[in-house]
Amino acid sequence: MSLSNEVMTELRKDYIYNLMVKGEREDGRAFDQYREITIETNVINKAEGSARVHLGDTDLVVGVKIQPGTPFPDTPDMGVIITNLELIPLASPVFEAGPPREDAIELARVVDRGVRESGAVDLSKLCITPGEKVWMVFIDVHVLDDGGNIMDAASLGAVAALLTSKLPNKRYDLGEDANVPMRDVPVAVTAVEIGGSIMLDPSQDEESIAGTKLTVTSNQNGAISAMQKSGVHPLTTEQINYIVDIAIEKAKEIREKFLVI
Amino acid sequence: MTKPEKLIENGIRLDGRKPDELRPIKIKVGVLNRADGSCYFEFGGNKVIAAVYGPREVHPRHMQKSTSAVVRYRYNMASFSVEERKRPGPDRRSIEVSKVSREALEPVIFQEYFPRSAIDIFVEVLQADAGTRTAGINAASIALADAGIPMKSLVSACAAGKIDDTVVLDLNKDEDNYGQADMPIAMTPEGNITLLQMDGHLTRDEFGEAFELAKNGCKAIYELQRAALMEKYASQMEGDVIE
Amino acid sequence: MEMDKKLVIPGDFLSDDAKQADEGTYVENGKVFSSVFGIASLKDRIRVVPLSGKYIPRAGDMVIGVIKEIAFSNWIVDIRSPYEGLLHISEFPRRIESADMPKYLNIGESIMTLVRDVDANMKVELTLNDQRLRPVKEGRVIEVTPSKVPRLIGRGGSMIAMLKNETGCNIFIGQNGRVWITGKDKGMDLAARAILKIERETHISGLTDRITRFLKEEKGGKPKEKEPEKEEPEKIETAPAEQEEKQEEETEPLPAEEEKVKEHKPGGILDELLGNGK
Repeated sequence: MSLSNEVMTELRKDYIYNLMVKGEREDGRAFDQYREITIETNVINKAEGSARVHLGDTDLVVGVKIQPGTPFPDTPDMGVIITNLELIPLASPVFEAGPPREDAIELARVVDRGVRESGAVDLSKLCITPGEKVWMVFIDVHVLDDGGNIMDAASLGAVAALLTSKLPNKRYDLGEDANVPMRDVPVAVTAVEIGGSIMLDPSQDEESIAGTKLTVTSNQNGAISAMQKSGVHPLTTEQINYIVDIAIEKAKEIREKFLVI
Repeated sequence: MTKPEKLIENGIRLDGRKPDELRPIKIKVGVLNRADGSCYFEFGGNKVIAAVYGPREVHPRHMQKSTSAVVRYRYNMASFSVEERKRPGPDRRSIEVSKVSREALEPVIFQEYFPRSAIDIFVEVLQADAGTRTAGINAASIALADAGIPMKSLVSACAAGKIDDTVVLDLNKDEDNYGQADMPIAMTPEGNITLLQMDGHLTRDEFGEAFELAKNGCKAIYELQRAALMEKYASQMEGDVIE
Repeated sequence: MEMDKKLVIPGDFLSDDAKQADEGTYVENGKVFSSVFGIASLKDRIRVVPLSGKYIPRAGDMVIGVIKEIAFSNWIVDIRSPYEGLLHISEFPRRIESADMPKYLNIGESIMTLVRDVDANMKVELTLNDQRLRPVKEGRVIEVTPSKVPRLIGRGGSMIAMLKNETGCNIFIGQNGRVWITGKDKGMDLAARAILKIERETHISGLTDRITRFLKEEKGGKPKEKEPEKEEPEKIETAPAEQEEKQEEETEPLPAEEEKVKEHKPGGILDELLGNGK
């Protein structure tokens, strides 16, 4: 699925596959178990909000920059959120320099949808002068080490960074700095399908042999705000229902543990 | 911020440093799993991370050199690393910084050991506060050693400059913005200069003074780089004991 | 660390005796300096073993490669090096047609192979024409830093012999740091963990003793709080074996070559490879 010029050996595929049949994963996790998560916020003081996320071996930084800009003509009194993610060549031997490719754009767009569609940020409160000036919120995801499942790590980072972000009113003579108006805490949960089994939070090797991935982003009240199936293998209705249920449950756990408004 | 009335008063700078004092430095070696070598380098308010991949195959092939490795250096600033959001991707400044940084390191790398291959160095600036290129070179030089690349030595880099007519070491952001000169250099431990840039205004004497100051800064940084590499090994040993 | 060894970084002065300079060093103005970050040994020859680094192929090396491309009359083989290996169709132990190449060795398959020649341009030619070689079709391959291979083998092969003995596995160590382990699941697991431990601890003295103790403790079923054994003993023989069979049916019709090899000794690699192409 990636631009890989690294060959995944048949032997390695067999090894992971055979473990899976025994109900095991290489790192000893249960199929529905996440790797260790650590989130550190306010790591970049030039940003209005930031978070460093470790999800197992995956390591990334999310920075939120907020500055005034012109609203879209069809939403003159709403702020704007722009999410960007790049798979920079520092993070993996298979990432290349240059403009974002489809993988990176897909990741960024799914993170963006999760935040936007959940209504996590109250965009109407980001209006400065209707029709003229609104806050533009840039969420930039900087992946440092690809250990698999960048999607969930990036989503976690985006929300964690937003939760600590400040509107820089002072800098633009608009009064005191204020919190970004947050209404919800969407959490993305990604599952992969390998030989008919479903595993959450795939490691990099699991991700690369998986037939397909499904990301489900859900909100505080258990509603779904974004979904994305990625990869060529089809999924059955049963598999999808299973993933949706477990994703909502996992999202709740992760939210309660790491993301408090 | 507007220009402060004084950048240095009674020999003490706004951040409390003396003219010949470096900002605090924090180094961690081997911070990335995927890279062959890596280093996190904090230099005052600068936070950079360097990764080295290679020697590895060269793509595209026409970039290959038949008798040596090509060294490629990509300096990149995260969009949130600066006050005003930076548009992602390379601009003229980062392309120039990449070029001179690469040239600062190439002299110490035994490129001829690896014909037809590439040694890729990636430097990401997560937070910028004047001096990102020198922080990047310091980090990259450690990452190269961490990757097992044969080299003549490490390379150390830092800047000297002038504020309020005083020559000082290692300018911070305000000093850079409102000062009179900035001169980053890179140096090998035996004193070969591998990077030299300068902008602003220095008299011949001031140049001499700034140059000496910067060289001393490089020497101090070299000791920290060496200690950081040694520490990686020490922590490895500790890890084993715990296990 | 042993007394005659020390940790050095590139540029560290090692000796005035330029005649003794060996790998991992360079000479300037008659003085010997380290060229890598690694462990210097100053006894006899002056050399530095790097703590990391890529495999650079040399003629005569036995390595484990992975087929990554099939070009006209050449298999292009990843040997974990900046330089890909070329396995020409004529280096296959039997005459085969170019069109049939994927039938015998396909992309993603692993082989034990011999570096036949490396020219000045680092063109690396491989061969399968050697009775010691095997296709790598079962077991596990793990990767260690190539510079640590000698330590893994041990003096006169002592470390590897002990590992094989204690784990009941067959272990082949490629010069490129790929290690092929075959045996029972539990043994392979133990061997893999021991090898990774050796890799991490190469620089600490008394390595062989420590590894022997580690293996004995692990095998002795010493209660370990940190990671409870995931494997139930009876599962090992039954479930996975079934699975392996099932998988073979699903993918390529693999021959049951294990026994065959042992029977016709001279056939060796050829039989195994041809099995794949039948």
